[in-house]
Amino acid sequence: MSGAVNVEVLSKTYRVPEREAGFSAAARSFFRRKYRDVDAVKEVSFAIGRGEIVGFLGPNGAGKTTTLKMLSGLLHPTGGRADVLGFTPWDRKPEFLRSITLVMGQRNRLSWDIPAADSFLLNQAIYRIDDAQYKRTLAELDELLELAPIIKKPVRNLSLGERMKCELAAALLHGPQVLFLDEPTIGLDITAQARIRSFLREYNRRTGATILLTSHYMADVTALCERIIMIHHGQLKYDGGITDLSRRIAPVKLIGVALRDGAEADLTRYGELSAEENENGRRMIQVPAEDVASVTARLLSELPVQDLNIEDVPIEAVIEKAFNEGEPAQAEARPRAEARQETGA
Amino acid sequence: MIRIYRRFWQINWAEQWQYRANLLMYLAYWVVSPVVYLAVWSAVANAQGNVQGLTANDFVTYYMTLLIVDVLTSDITLHILAYKIQDGTLSGELLRPVHPILTGTLVNNLAFKALTFAALIPIWIVIYLLMRPDFSEVTAQSVLLTAPAILLGFGISFFMNSTLTSIAFWTTRVYGINEFFYVLSVLFSGQFVPLTLMPPVIQQIAQFLPFQLTRYFPTMLVLNRLTPEQVVQNYALAVFWLIALGVIFFIVWRAGVKRFSAVGA
Repeated sequence: MSGAVNVEVLSKTYRVPEREAGFSAAARSFFRRKYRDVDAVKEVSFAIGRGEIVGFLGPNGAGKTTTLKMLSGLLHPTGGRADVLGFTPWDRKPEFLRSITLVMGQRNRLSWDIPAADSFLLNQAIYRIDDAQYKRTLAELDELLELAPIIKKPVRNLSLGERMKCELAAALLHGPQVLFLDEPTIGLDITAQARIRSFLREYNRRTGATILLTSHYMADVTALCERIIMIHHGQLKYDGGITDLSRRIAPVKLIGVALRDGAEADLTRYGELSAEENENGRRMIQVPAEDVASVTARLLSELPVQDLNIEDVPIEAVIEKAFNEGEPAQAEARPRAEARQETGA
Repeated sequence: MIRIYRRFWQINWAEQWQYRANLLMYLAYWVVSPVVYLAVWSAVANAQGNVQGLTANDFVTYYMTLLIVDVLTSDITLHILAYKIQDGTLSGELLRPVHPILTGTLVNNLAFKALTFAALIPIWIVIYLLMRPDFSEVTAQSVLLTAPAILLGFGISFFMNSTLTSIAFWTTRVYGINEFFYVLSVLFSGQFVPLTLMPPVIQQIAQFLPFQLTRYFPTMLVLNRLTPEQVVQNYALAVFWLIALGVIFFIVWRAGVKRFSAVGA
């Protein structure tokens, strides 16, 4: 198989206990518990080729983390199949676990009370990394993440950003071929976020590793991923390029117009006035992409325009729109996923 | 594999030192009840001359030996791992290509044991100086014969507690179940009183259960108070229980990991 990750109609249903609030409800639930089935992931299918970096998006509770946990062998699915590097993840074969990594938040692989350097040595033994390879990888990770000043301090004394760097290093020491990253930049300041992003890009370039990452920061996604997979309420909603998504979900452009001092005009004649109006003294007019040229020409000829610019709709807005629309993109997504797998893209 | 255990040892040893105060609490918990039993029973035996044939010295040597055996064969897997199953932090360990219980947890147990044992020695010496018991029934041969029983006893405790810990995959009430097991252990392991003082029914049940193999059997063995037949029978039982509990543990663990919901992590 040429693909790195292949997921077919994967589902996970949780059985969740529930009860009303209050004393009598608590007493009743002691004798008779009520459960509700929650479909965290519902028949999701996609394929990812080796070396791809794919953004895995969805609002909170969409099923992203559950999917990543299934793909890394932590969770058994309720239905469907998955194949990661030729392994069924939840068989949890040691060779499989040696080939992947999962980073979730800032707590995972490091012992809290001792320096990260000791945890690294433990990982060296667990993943059977020979000394030369270990030194080489650690030097590379040090170069990319500037670890030297922080790995000798107890992990509990590190800042959030420092800890994330150490977590990433611990997760990558064994040179995994597939990286599942769940919010790798959460809680980090902008500088640290940028550093982690450039590190991931460089790591992917150097090693050819496949990366599937979730993030609530669109900057992560736009900087790293050409392709995104979007799920909502456990179902696949989109699988394709970011630019395609903009074209399909929001085939519009924004024209920013600043009129000369004191000039007033009814801009709604030219298109929908978007929410970002008046930003930097401009009014933003949303127009269909194919009408941009004609509307711009009309604006320039009909109004006392001082300044004008044309922008794409921000990706955040596109994605929010996609989440809210609830269109079934699965039929569209499937053939694309299969095509990718065939070409080993 | 040796390298993995060595690294786990280095980490766990370093970590145990971070929790010195916690360790002393555990030790106090461990020491207090045998010392109380020792004081009470030796007082009773002194007053009556003996209790069912056991003299005051028999009680002192029994509980003082039990103190050491208890530290060597007991197991803290539940405290190391149950909360990790419940809060999902076990995920980090499940991602590693080694068994979390048979590597990290086992070594954590051993590091804890080494440190508590070291801390117990001075306490034990103080008790010895206070009580001046006669340990002449202990011989080099009985000590040598007891060493494998200690290992088997720890193995039995380890698998029993690991199985109990694995129940955390199903219920968050695992600490309650542990309390119930603790009561059984106190009743049947000889921790409370030497089993020969228990009602005959309890004695008969106790001899086939694994609990007495972790405390009573090694204690009585080192004190040379068992017949050769009892030694052979207990060793055979210990091997049987080690294998049986090992198999049960692997089955329960495997089923538990399948159910693991990795919440919150």
